[in-house]
Amino acid sequence: MAWAEVVVDVTRVERPRERRGDALLLSALALPGVVPSVAAQSVPDKGIFEAQYLSYRDWQPGRNRMTVNAPAFYALMPVGDTWVVEGGMVYDSMSGASPLYFNVLSGASIGDYRTAGDIKVTKYIGNQAVSVGTFVSSEQDFLSRGASFNVQYFSDDRNRTWLLGVAGTNDRINATNGVAPNSRRNSIEFVAGITQALSPNDIVQSNLTYYTGHGYYSDPYKPLDTRPSQRQTWAWLTRYNHYFVEQDATLKLGYRLLLDSFGSTSNALDVAWVQGLPWYGISVTPALRFYTQTAAGFYKNPPFPTGYVDGDNYSADTRLASFGAITAGVTVAAPLWDGWNVSLRADYYRQDPDWQVFGTGSPGIQIFAARWLQVNLSKNF
Amino acid sequence: MAGEHEIHVAGADADVARTAADAAIADVARIEAKYSRYRDDSVISRVNAAAGHGAVDIDGETHALLRYADQCHAQSDGLFDITSGVLRRAWNFRLEPPRVPSSEELAPLLDLIAWRDVEWSERSLRLPRAGMEIDFGGIGKEYAADRAATILMERGVRHGFVNLGGDIRALGPQPDGAPWRVGIRHPRAQEVAVAGFDLVDGALATSGDYERYFDLEGRRYCHILDPRSGMPVTHWQSVSVVAPLCVVAGSCATIAMLRGAGAPAFLDAQGVAWLGVAADGTIYRPPAG
Repeated sequence: MAWAEVVVDVTRVERPRERRGDALLLSALALPGVVPSVAAQSVPDKGIFEAQYLSYRDWQPGRNRMTVNAPAFYALMPVGDTWVVEGGMVYDSMSGASPLYFNVLSGASIGDYRTAGDIKVTKYIGNQAVSVGTFVSSEQDFLSRGASFNVQYFSDDRNRTWLLGVAGTNDRINATNGVAPNSRRNSIEFVAGITQALSPNDIVQSNLTYYTGHGYYSDPYKPLDTRPSQRQTWAWLTRYNHYFVEQDATLKLGYRLLLDSFGSTSNALDVAWVQGLPWYGISVTPALRFYTQTAAGFYKNPPFPTGYVDGDNYSADTRLASFGAITAGVTVAAPLWDGWNVSLRADYYRQDPDWQVFGTGSPGIQIFAARWLQVNLSKNF
Repeated sequence: MAGEHEIHVAGADADVARTAADAAIADVARIEAKYSRYRDDSVISRVNAAAGHGAVDIDGETHALLRYADQCHAQSDGLFDITSGVLRRAWNFRLEPPRVPSSEELAPLLDLIAWRDVEWSERSLRLPRAGMEIDFGGIGKEYAADRAATILMERGVRHGFVNLGGDIRALGPQPDGAPWRVGIRHPRAQEVAVAGFDLVDGALATSGDYERYFDLEGRRYCHILDPRSGMPVTHWQSVSVVAPLCVVAGSCATIAMLRGAGAPAFLDAQGVAWLGVAADGTIYRPPAG
């Protein structure tokens, strides 16, 4: 540009303002591909580092149960222009009595500690992304290893993403009490999903997951506990987010239906409201979760061991009972400086057989409550 | 699409820049081929060839462009009309010596300018009278610039601009954060800039009376023609518009040329920044903000 500049001044191009005269701009935004889409699934160009500390405690009326403290780390790194590597680690330490009626922690036992890690590598090729991952989780009496493979396909306008995935898991159970030594469990899971940006302010996601496994599903620490050696589940998860421009707030809705071949059906409804505040980029997110599940077919109500028939499947594990639960929580997040962000989260969980909305709750089990406190520090770089 | 095309990418790895630019260039070529008046196999040629006959099937992209053109028609009170290209049959800017067509020559052509009569839907388009034609002048090239910028951004380019024959869409500042400084050509002295605009992520387009024209008896006759009279516009030598999208900047600049004295009110109502060089050479520029 060899032009002699006679007059030069500065006009910063502002984002389009809301005004009635913007008719041409509004209709131009309907043209395909003139602006990057809201869901643009291009290759992440920034790395993320996250450190988190979780404190969990549960109790039943009159007695404290278990506490768990879990530091966790996560990192995502773009490598070159089309590769992304991400991985995480968590270390749980648990203490306290084993609950009489409840144990909300997954896994076959209440170990003293758990160490788990995963790593995933993603390659972006044009409109597609292919991921390969592996994970391992280890406790004193339990070892789980697995691998996953995912393919994502992005539409040309990047407003839609299709997902197909498969994951296999191999578990080994060696209960410290010597029940069922060297037990194994193998499972495979398939997921198909779609994410669609409906408008610059609306996005919807729907995933269908099928799980099938066989092996040792019983709880070796619960007397007489005998569960089927085959398990299949179907899970359907749908999420919808809407951003309210004037309020600077996002409504997040989620629903999950899970059908389990053990005989139970669960429904979970999530509602969260992310409210941006006018100070320092701080946001406050109150959230509520409603959950109900019906009992597994072989679950027997207390007193133990009512209903036990030798040779039949049997469990008195109240995690398999019929109940409803509500989780209420709030998250406060704030940007710090230089790409660092901090968030604090507190959740309170309460489960009650009377809150079962589909049918009646299981009788004879006590109300159970838990709370989580979580601190998360992250950095984008 | 005449004029120099340029894709300027900065602060990116050479391979990324090359791959991204290739994809953007391919899309510009695709749009040019699809909507060219000069190619027999283009959508435009097929539609025009079927004028007065049946409807021609169109796809979603073409429908979106028609919808935008319809909005321009409404916002310009009918001055921006994609069927007005028929006037080219009477105006030949290359003729030596130049000649101004008579009103008898123009009258039958004016009858063919009738966007309102065009029958169009999501799937098809029909020009009702033989001799009618459409083209996407004023929006097609600008749409291509916006899409090229999107393609670059979606491939990770954060610094650069797309320049299609003087219509420019920026997609992020220079690598050091400074805006791109874009000069506006003087309509009567092409190597002189009358002003500059700083672009970070918006677009700048100019419509002027110097692209195709002839001068006769002290008067400038340019290719921007008023669909009501069939005569060239005379109020502005050029109008440059800065808007978030190039397609908006381009159509606003063309509508401003057509609106003449009504241009400032129209442009201010659209919320765009602009600079106009009036017929007498006076530079008009509203205060920023």
